[in-house]
Amino acid sequence: MILSKISHFGFVLIFGLVLLVLAVLPFFVDLYYQTFLIELFVWVLFAISFDLIFGYTGLLSFGQALFFGLGSYTVTIFVRKFGFNTELSLFLSIVIPILFAWFVGYFSVKLTGIHFAIITIIFAMIGNIIGETWTSFTGGSDGLTFSPPPFRLGLLSVDMMDIKSNYYFVLAIVAISYLFLRRIVQSPLGKVFISIRENEERVQLIGYNVQRYKLVAFIIAGGLSGLAGGLYSLTLKYAGASYLHWSVSGHAVVYTVVGGMGTLIGPALGAGIIMSLEHYLIDILQTTDLVAGIVLVFMILVAPKGLVGYIQSMLKKGETSA
Amino acid sequence: MPETNEIILELKEVNKSFGGLLAVNKVNLSLNKGELRALIGPNGAGKTTLLNLINGIFPVSGGQIFFKGKEITNLSPHRISHIGIARTLQITSLFSGSTVYENIWIAVQSRKRIYNPLVHASKRKDVKDKTEYMLELIGLKEKAQTVSSELSYGDQRILEIGVALSTEPELLLLDEPTAGLSTEESVILVKKVQGMIAGKTIILVEHDMGVVMGLAERITVLNYGEIIAEGTPQEIKDNEEVRKIYLGT
Repeated sequence: MILSKISHFGFVLIFGLVLLVLAVLPFFVDLYYQTFLIELFVWVLFAISFDLIFGYTGLLSFGQALFFGLGSYTVTIFVRKFGFNTELSLFLSIVIPILFAWFVGYFSVKLTGIHFAIITIIFAMIGNIIGETWTSFTGGSDGLTFSPPPFRLGLLSVDMMDIKSNYYFVLAIVAISYLFLRRIVQSPLGKVFISIRENEERVQLIGYNVQRYKLVAFIIAGGLSGLAGGLYSLTLKYAGASYLHWSVSGHAVVYTVVGGMGTLIGPALGAGIIMSLEHYLIDILQTTDLVAGIVLVFMILVAPKGLVGYIQSMLKKGETSA
Repeated sequence: MPETNEIILELKEVNKSFGGLLAVNKVNLSLNKGELRALIGPNGAGKTTLLNLINGIFPVSGGQIFFKGKEITNLSPHRISHIGIARTLQITSLFSGSTVYENIWIAVQSRKRIYNPLVHASKRKDVKDKTEYMLELIGLKEKAQTVSSELSYGDQRILEIGVALSTEPELLLLDEPTAGLSTEESVILVKKVQGMIAGKTIILVEHDMGVVMGLAERITVLNYGEIIAEGTPQEIKDNEEVRKIYLGT
């Protein structure tokens, strides 16, 4: 009990410090680097939403790209084609992916293991093909550009065309989403998700409707992946069919495995590490996938539980030997 | 012996076939409330399959199952759990990476319907109190914070029964709780478990006849998916057919 209070206090302290550092950072780095950080925040959100479905519930979903792409297209198309305002479009970038996640999840959660992974890849591929071919609506592989009007909520007005405002906006939403997901995984609902990952049969035997809980996890993850896509488009003022490609989900897989699955902070760190390495090594290596690949293989060999898992086991070792 | 003869579970002509193999063949079984019934038979007799049919892991191929007068045939396992039938498995089935406390907690939580996803799990006082009560009952309170995979094998078996009991069942299906234990360990386990399950209706599957002799009021013997005998331990011991095909004498 005391321990959990200390760890709660520790979390609040570290979370606050990280936010503080990120809040003052734009005053010290140039616009190019700020844009990089905004993109990083978006991928952190994508990675932690993936962690809910993969790391906590144990379902390897390659369908997250579909929801990311849908969220991205929702913002772009609703602003550009339908003249919606930014706040409503962003809200819809959660709602529409949730509806699709409901549909995809309804069929997918009946399957387990590799079959689940494959059916989610198939759904993402269908999305990608529609995005590529329905050019009049999606812009195909060229995609669509747009200029979002300021985001208004009450007295708050955020100019999305201004990089610094954009930065704080995305940072705030990702931070809130992180706290939301943290709360979910600590709630009874989250405990059921973890139990499903640990032993699906036992969860069913003690009276939980496993498929329904999986669907709930899938829908929450889908909605937040959609939000990540929506924020990405608001930042780049662009959406393209490539966002729907299933390999986009692969980014989340890599970040999660490298950082440590089922920890939330792990995938966030994983995204930070890999994207930073890619950022600095792109000039030398020419291709960013190589960086992700090398880090992934290295981590699987050295620390299969990811960075956070590795640190946790080190701490545990220290505790028992002390 | 229970005073009333209220039937809690009834199986009527229950069949199960896997492809051409008839694993359970026209089984009729009725169980009184509060009874401890042993289900014995050689390996492959269909004992586990019969339990799987009762709690919905497999659909039946034919026949009907009634629990407290209501038909429960082919309901899914989570529905059966909520109706009041709990189950342990022959091969220990726990949340092995979770602590003893968490294993019990999640089972206790399964009976609570409210889900506010933004409430911290530890704030559910009702669940916490019941979990602590259950830990006391199964005698694992001292080991509450131990990861369940680090428990001794015997304690894991007990924990699994504790998990099943935490769902407040009226009928408990125990599938070879002493499997993998030495005779001495089995005796200790049985003694511990007896206190925990007092007053519940039990079906105890065993292939070791010695374990059930002192425990069960009635024994049902299954062979090749069919009930070949049913009676008191003494009757079963004296039954010619049982001796021939089961005891091998």
